[in-house]
Amino acid sequence: MSRQSTGYWFILPALVVLAMLIAYPVAYTGLLSVTDSQSNFVGVKNFATVLRSRATPQAFWNTLYWVGGSIVFQVLLGTATAILLNQSFPGRSVVRSIALIPWVIPSIVAATTFAWMFHTEFGIINYMMTAPGLIEQPIGWLTNRDTVMPVLIAINVWKLFPFVAVMVLAGLQSIPKELYEAARVDGANFWEEVRHIMLPQVRPVLVAVTLLLVIWGLNSITIIYAITRGGPANSTLITPIQIFRIAFENVQFNQAAALSVMFFAVAILIVFFYIKALAAAPGEAR
Amino acid sequence: MTTNAHVLPPKQAAAAENTLASAKPAGRSDRTGLGTPFIVIGCVLLVAICLFPFWWMSLSSIKTLRELYTVPPIWWPAAPTWGNYHKVLFESNIPRYFLNSVIISVGATGLALCLAVFASYGFARFNFKGKPLFQAFVLVGQLLPTAAIIVPLFVTLRVLGLVNTYFGLILVYMIITLPLSVWMLTSYFKAIPVELDEAAIIDGASRVGVLFRITLPLSKPGIVAVVVYSFVTTWNEFIFALCFASDSSVKTLPIGLAEFSTEFNTDWGAVMAASVIMTLPIALLFLSMQRLFVGGLTAGATKG
Repeated sequence: MSRQSTGYWFILPALVVLAMLIAYPVAYTGLLSVTDSQSNFVGVKNFATVLRSRATPQAFWNTLYWVGGSIVFQVLLGTATAILLNQSFPGRSVVRSIALIPWVIPSIVAATTFAWMFHTEFGIINYMMTAPGLIEQPIGWLTNRDTVMPVLIAINVWKLFPFVAVMVLAGLQSIPKELYEAARVDGANFWEEVRHIMLPQVRPVLVAVTLLLVIWGLNSITIIYAITRGGPANSTLITPIQIFRIAFENVQFNQAAALSVMFFAVAILIVFFYIKALAAAPGEAR
Repeated sequence: MTTNAHVLPPKQAAAAENTLASAKPAGRSDRTGLGTPFIVIGCVLLVAICLFPFWWMSLSSIKTLRELYTVPPIWWPAAPTWGNYHKVLFESNIPRYFLNSVIISVGATGLALCLAVFASYGFARFNFKGKPLFQAFVLVGQLLPTAAIIVPLFVTLRVLGLVNTYFGLILVYMIITLPLSVWMLTSYFKAIPVELDEAAIIDGASRVGVLFRITLPLSKPGIVAVVVYSFVTTWNEFIFALCFASDSSVKTLPIGLAEFSTEFNTDWGAVMAASVIMTLPIALLFLSMQRLFVGGLTAGATKG
């Protein structure tokens, strides 16, 4: 109904802004990673420097631990919540609104509040565990190398499981009721319905949600940065925080760019293999 | 709150919203359910887990210093005090950071909306060469690991003299807000019958006139969803603000709060008061728009 070129004029401003903010920086990162601070070409020297640093492999494994650990529990807890909220009971809409609260609260607020709750001496959590004798001594949750990462993961899970719940709930509510009726005829109980109807039916939702959680997990530094800044002794250092440190604390932009390139490549590989594995997975043809 | 969303055509959004809101899918009565004890225990646990930190934060914000640092903790302060709020509001930089956050969030939301309205109309109403490619490019921003581009963005902003300025941060926030705004609005615009546009054009309206007098008034829910999403995301954004706004004249609330709590001697009462102050606007906005927002968000899930 109209000339082709008119469409370009409508999308042009947004595209220019995005190209400037996305395409250009991505290309520029590549350039920075193979030059020194005087813009001389240095080949893979920056990559070698970054890879030699002891922090790099540690940050890599920490990142995997952080993303993987978070996702497993976010999905489990979120799905369980969705199944619960899919039941009909009085007050359901109130419970559903309350369940969204962790997701609404800014990450930084969640981080500070939990940091206070996990406080070694005056934190409510140590009190709740020492009072009934669950633990002998107050635990330094955020200063002990063995507990700090699980605690941070727990906070991240608390923050994002409502998102999984909302998405899975929508999926559950779109399941045709004929499936339940057929299952009832066959004498299925509730747990069999969960296993044979609900979970298979929401699988596509879970696949999409998990992908988003992977990307957000790779992006998220707020909780870790606000609580531990990567410490103690780098035990919670994840790659995004390492990039930030190299760039803005050591002011080594070229090394930070080299690390960014590797981070970018790994992120793309993970997403690629995830999508590929799911495309090949059985059950999709259902 | 980090959000992303699959926002899809309003028709499905409405359907999902209905099932969610009215909560009475047909055929509920004739099916096996979870036993009542399970439901009660599950709900109590869920509500406790979700609300307790929030409640503890509010409670800690009205305790005196002495009551904060006692073992066992005090469940209800004997003498609730506004002292922490007074400290935050009158003796810290938090009000300034609050103002900065408002300016930057409003600016980023407005700019994203302006750009997205035109781009979405272009995507929804025109066919041109390379359209799928452009649409894919817009979405890539949503999937980008942001940490990987902070270095070049910083260098670029420094060259343009935009580090530590409102406009610099507003511009950078387009990476987060613009792709999703374009995506959401495109699906809303597509759902509006194209015949309305055609009729108006026959009557002599220009393309831009059609957009502003017909398309926009008909997509108010979509615009509200975009505004809420953009505002909440930019209000909570951390990493870009940390890198590009280090001067206290432009620092945003999340950064201010992080500094507050990691200084050597943390004043937990004040930190909790500042947390409450930061949460309130966003919680009110989100809960008042919840139905609309969650409706749009979950439509994607039902589609699978």
